[in-house]
Amino acid sequence: MSDTKVSQPSNLSRRSLLKAGLAAGAVAGSAGAARAAGDPLITEIQDWNRYLGEGVQARPYGTPSEFEAGVVRRDVEWLTASTESSINFTPLHELDGIITPNGLCFERHHGGIAEINPADHRLMINGLVDTPLVFTMEDLKRFPRENRVYFLECAANSGMEWRGSQLNGCQFTHGMVHCVMYTGVPLKLILEEAGIKTSAKWVMPEGADASAMTRSIPMDKALDDCLVAFKMNGEALRPEQGYPLRLVVPGWEGNMWVKWLRRIEVGDEPWHQREETSKYTDLLETGKARRFTWVMDPKSVVTSPSPQAPVTHGKGPLVISGVAWSGNGRITRVDVSIDGGRNWKTARLDGPSLSKALHRFYLDIDWDGSDLLIQSRAMDENGYYQPTKNELRAARGENSIYHNNGIQTWHVKADGTVENVEVS
Amino acid sequence: MSKFLKVLSLGVSLAALPVLTGAVVAGDADKGAKVFKKCAACHAVGDNAKNKVGPQLNEVFGRTAGTLEGYKYSKAMISAGDGGLVWDDASLTTYLEKPKAMIKGTKMAFAGLKKEEDLENVIAYLATFSSTAPAEKEEQSAAEPEAVEAAVQTAAASATPSPVSATREGGGLGRAATEDEVAAWDIDIRPDGQGLPAGSGTVADGEVLYTDNCAVCHGDFGEGVGRWPVLAGGHDTLTDERPEKTIGSYWPYLSTVYDYVRRAMPYGNARSLSDDDVYAITAYLLYLNDVVDDEEFELSNENFVEIRLPNEENFIADDRPEEEHYATKGDPCMSDCKADAVEITMRARILDVTPGSVDDDDASGLGGVD
Repeated sequence: MSDTKVSQPSNLSRRSLLKAGLAAGAVAGSAGAARAAGDPLITEIQDWNRYLGEGVQARPYGTPSEFEAGVVRRDVEWLTASTESSINFTPLHELDGIITPNGLCFERHHGGIAEINPADHRLMINGLVDTPLVFTMEDLKRFPRENRVYFLECAANSGMEWRGSQLNGCQFTHGMVHCVMYTGVPLKLILEEAGIKTSAKWVMPEGADASAMTRSIPMDKALDDCLVAFKMNGEALRPEQGYPLRLVVPGWEGNMWVKWLRRIEVGDEPWHQREETSKYTDLLETGKARRFTWVMDPKSVVTSPSPQAPVTHGKGPLVISGVAWSGNGRITRVDVSIDGGRNWKTARLDGPSLSKALHRFYLDIDWDGSDLLIQSRAMDENGYYQPTKNELRAARGENSIYHNNGIQTWHVKADGTVENVEVS
Repeated sequence: MSKFLKVLSLGVSLAALPVLTGAVVAGDADKGAKVFKKCAACHAVGDNAKNKVGPQLNEVFGRTAGTLEGYKYSKAMISAGDGGLVWDDASLTTYLEKPKAMIKGTKMAFAGLKKEEDLENVIAYLATFSSTAPAEKEEQSAAEPEAVEAAVQTAAASATPSPVSATREGGGLGRAATEDEVAAWDIDIRPDGQGLPAGSGTVADGEVLYTDNCAVCHGDFGEGVGRWPVLAGGHDTLTDERPEKTIGSYWPYLSTVYDYVRRAMPYGNARSLSDDDVYAITAYLLYLNDVVDDEEFELSNENFVEIRLPNEENFIADDRPEEEHYATKGDPCMSDCKADAVEITMRARILDVTPGSVDDDDASGLGGVD
C-alpha cells in the first residue's frame, strides 16, 4: 500500500524522502553480514525495527505521518482577489471512506477566520418571537443534542468547469465538499425556546465574522433538520469551520451553513441579502436568474484514478473509487462507465448509507491497459440521476456558476496518467 | 523642504522625537501582530509576502517611499519618495496615524490608527520583518512582567459578571435580550425598507466617501481593480458570453446595497461608516449606475423604497425539477447508450491553469468564485 503511494509521480517530496531513508538503511545494513537475497527492506534490519521511537506525549495532539505531508488543502490563486475572501479545496483524491478529517475540510471565508473565545460568544434569537433571547455556549450545551453525518458542498463546487474541462484534479474540480459528523442542538428547540410567532415564515442566521454573513432560510427547513453545531467529528469545530458555533443546513448549499453563528432573526419575508441576490443566484441563458436555489442535486466523482491519483501499477486489478452525494437524501445507486458513457456498470456502495451524507463507491475491474474514459453517475432516493454536463448546459447555458453537478470524465491513458476531459 | 517633511516636523510629537535620532522601537511586536489584522486585507508581510491591494511590507524600514518594484503606487506616494521620504519609526508613526493628512492622494483607504499604543505596537511588529530596523528597547524585557501583570488585571476587571449559563424563570434556558443588544446586532434591511435607520446622504457626499473608502478595490467608477468586484456598468450584458453582474445590471434590490455596505464594508474595516455615510455611498453607487443622474440627489430613509433597480423583474423561482433530466425520473440507459464511438471534445491541458502545472505562473482560468 505504502509502495504505490510513494511511487506516485505527483509526489516528488515523498519519493525523495523514501530514497533518503533507503540510503540510510543500506549503510546501516552493510555493517552486518553479507547481503541476503531479496528486498533489503525485509532482509536487513531497519532503524525503526531496532531503535526506540518517540514516547507518548511526544505529539499531544496527533498529526499525520511526515510521509503524508502532501495531503493538504490547496487553493487556486487566480480565483479570488484576496485570501481572506477565498476558497481552498479538500484533497478528495487522497481520502477514502465517507468522513473528511477536520484538518482537510475545505475552507470558504468571506472575511477571514474569526478567532473567538467561546466565553465571549453569544447567540441571539430575535424578531418574530415571544421573547428575544441570548444564549452563552454553556446555555446551548444544556439543550438535548444530536449527532448527524452530513456533507457540506459549496454551491460553486465545479463552477470553474461550466465552459469545459479546466483544472486537472478532482481536488480542484470537486473539492468544495466535505462530510463530517456534527454534534449540535436542533434549531427547532432553540427557536421554540424563544417562542415562534404564527406570522413567522423565515429565519436569517448571521455570522460574527468580518463579513457578518447572512442568509434567508424558510421556516419549514429551520424546523425540519437544521442543527446549531459545536462539534465536528467529536471535537470542537475548527476555527476555519466556524468555532465555536455554526449552523448546519443538511443537503443545502454550503453558504447557508453560517459559521461563527451569533444571531438568528425570525421574520415573515426573506431579507434578500447580498449572498442570495448578487451571489448564489444562477444566471440562465435567457438573462433570467434563479434565486433561492438551495438544494444540492445528486453528484458523484471518481476520486481514484484521477489526475492527481494516476494508475502506477500497470494492467491487472484496478480499484475505481469515488464519492457520491445528494441533498435530496440517500444515494441509492452509482453507475460507472469506463468507455465514456456508452456502457455502464452499477458500482458497489460500501460503508454507511446516510441521508445527505457522502457515499463511497467502488468498481473493481481487471484493466487491460488500454485507454479508459471513466465516468460515474449518481442516483438518489428522490429518483433523480446525475445529468451530463451537456444536458446542464442545454438547460441553463454556461454562466450559471453554481450548481454544476454534471457527470465528470477522466481520461486514463495507457501509461496510467489521467486527464480531465469532456467527451461527445 | 519638501511638503511632507514640513508635515512630518509638525506632526511628530515631542515624545517621538528621540526616536528620530535612531535608537529604538518602543512597541510590543506581539500586540502589533493583532493590530496588523486591520492592515492584512490589503498588506502582506512575512515569508513569501506578495503585493496585494497595498505593497508587501517586508524590509519597509529604510525603504524610500513609493519605490517597491512591481507595485503601482499613487503619484502622491511616488513624489513623496522623490522628495526624500524614507520609512522609519517616525515617518511610519505620522503616516499611520492619519495617512491622508500626511500624503494627500495616497491610494491607502485606511483612515488611520487612533490609539498611540496601536501605532507603536504595529510599527514594532513591522520592524521584525525589516533587517535594518532598530531593535526593540532593551528595557522592554525588564518591563514585560509589569505589562503582563497589567494585562491580567485588565482581563480580571473586564471579566463578564454574567453567569456562565442562565436558567430563566419558569425553567427556560438563556436570558432575555435587552433592547440595546438587539439594536446593536439587528442591522439588516429588507427590500420593503424594514430596518432602515433614519438618515440621509447625497451623491456628492458619497463621491468623497467612496473615493476614500472604496475606490482602492472597486475603482474610481466602480469598474473594479483586478479581481475585486465590479459595481457599475454592465447594462444589457446578462445574455452575453461574458456577463457583467453589477448593482445596476444584476442586483434586484437597493436594500441589499445599504445592508451589505453597512455590515461588511469597507473590506477589513467593517462597521466603521455612519448610517449617513452609507446613505451617501449608496446614493453615489446609484449615480455610478445611472439610476439617478443628479449629483444633488439625496437618498434617505424617506425616499429609499421608491428607488427600483432595473433587473428586479428578472429573478425567478428555482425550477430545476422541471428540467428534462430531472423531470424524467426512472432508470437511466445502461448499455449502448451512445450511437457513435465516444470522442474527446475538450481537454484540461489546452488551458492548464491547475496549480503546480508547468506554466501556471500567470495563468488565470475562466470563471471564478466570488
